[in-house]
Amino acid sequence: MEIDAEVKDSSLVLIKQGAEARVFESSFVGRRSVVKERFSKKYRHPTLDSKLTLKRLNAEARCMSKARRLGVSTPVLYAVDPLLHSLTFEYVEGPSVKDIFLEFGSNGIVEERLDDIAMQIGGSIGKLHDGGLIHGDLTTSNMLIRTGTNQLVLIDFGLSFTSTLPEDKAVDLYVLERALLSMHSSCGNVMDSILAGYRKSSKQWSSTLNKLAQGANCSPN
Amino acid sequence: MGDAGRELVDSMQAGKLEPEVAFLNASLIPDVFPLLAAAHKTLIAKSRDSLTTRTLHSELVYNYSGSKHITESLKRCGISDSTTYILAARFNASPDEMKAAEKLINGKEIELEELEGRANQAQIQKHYKISGLEVGISCLADAITCRIAARDAL
Repeated sequence: MEIDAEVKDSSLVLIKQGAEARVFESSFVGRRSVVKERFSKKYRHPTLDSKLTLKRLNAEARCMSKARRLGVSTPVLYAVDPLLHSLTFEYVEGPSVKDIFLEFGSNGIVEERLDDIAMQIGGSIGKLHDGGLIHGDLTTSNMLIRTGTNQLVLIDFGLSFTSTLPEDKAVDLYVLERALLSMHSSCGNVMDSILAGYRKSSKQWSSTLNKLAQGANCSPN
Repeated sequence: MGDAGRELVDSMQAGKLEPEVAFLNASLIPDVFPLLAAAHKTLIAKSRDSLTTRTLHSELVYNYSGSKHITESLKRCGISDSTTYILAARFNASPDEMKAAEKLINGKEIELEELEGRANQAQIQKHYKISGLEVGISCLADAITCRIAARDAL
């Protein structure tokens, strides 16, 4: 009945530093993991700071779990530490959609793979939106493709929130559209394939896409 | 398990188990990983003197349930007089203590590898409220782990 979960859990290797959090690679009871630690902002009042940090930490954990319940793959949540303001989750093995698309840009597009990924992106966002969940930061670097299964995994729910408003859903898609235009213009019109996937999976696609079309007409450029 | 089961449950509830052990309803455990995640959570709470239940080992059962309702958790994820499939767990157990724990249960010891095959999928999905949609993208063990981790964030 022995369990060897090697205790190397204390080792943390910094992967990325953002404006709100630091992301480390570590291990959690024997599995490779990622630790996302929100740090305090010294310019905020300490009480307000800790309340805000904790609120956002919990919101992120909730949104990640909610996405999974809606059938959208996210990293498995391993632990939430309200004292250290950290989330520990599964280390997903596989490249980001950003890296895959950039490679399509430099080495030529693999049409079949591009279509599969675009459909998965649209499908996943459709499921989130129908469940009333807005990702809030849909960029290709927040999407991973799991090695082996080629399953799309959405990450970074730090800006996620719940809403059923078509406006909020349209903004979610608009952010992605802008990101695709600026990063991956050489991949052709990926957004069309993504929206095709979205229409297939979301029952409420028409009100969202109407808003998206309206927004495009009103935007300054 | 009958009378022997009753006795076991009684001495457990009286806090008289020697050594102190956590007895879990193994039908709800498809893999050791979620249990280890619950154990991790338990040790962190212990190190901060913030256990919710009376003992370290009851805390493990409570944490494994992924629910905030203590009585209900201990009932569902712990054992009753009719439980025949049990997982016994103890923190930092010495070989002698494990032998003693083995003697507490009248039954046959099996390997942890059997957990997956013996898990009760329907019961797990019901207890942890895991929908068919989620099963499509996740194994049961991962779904349980998420609920254990996210409980206090809800």
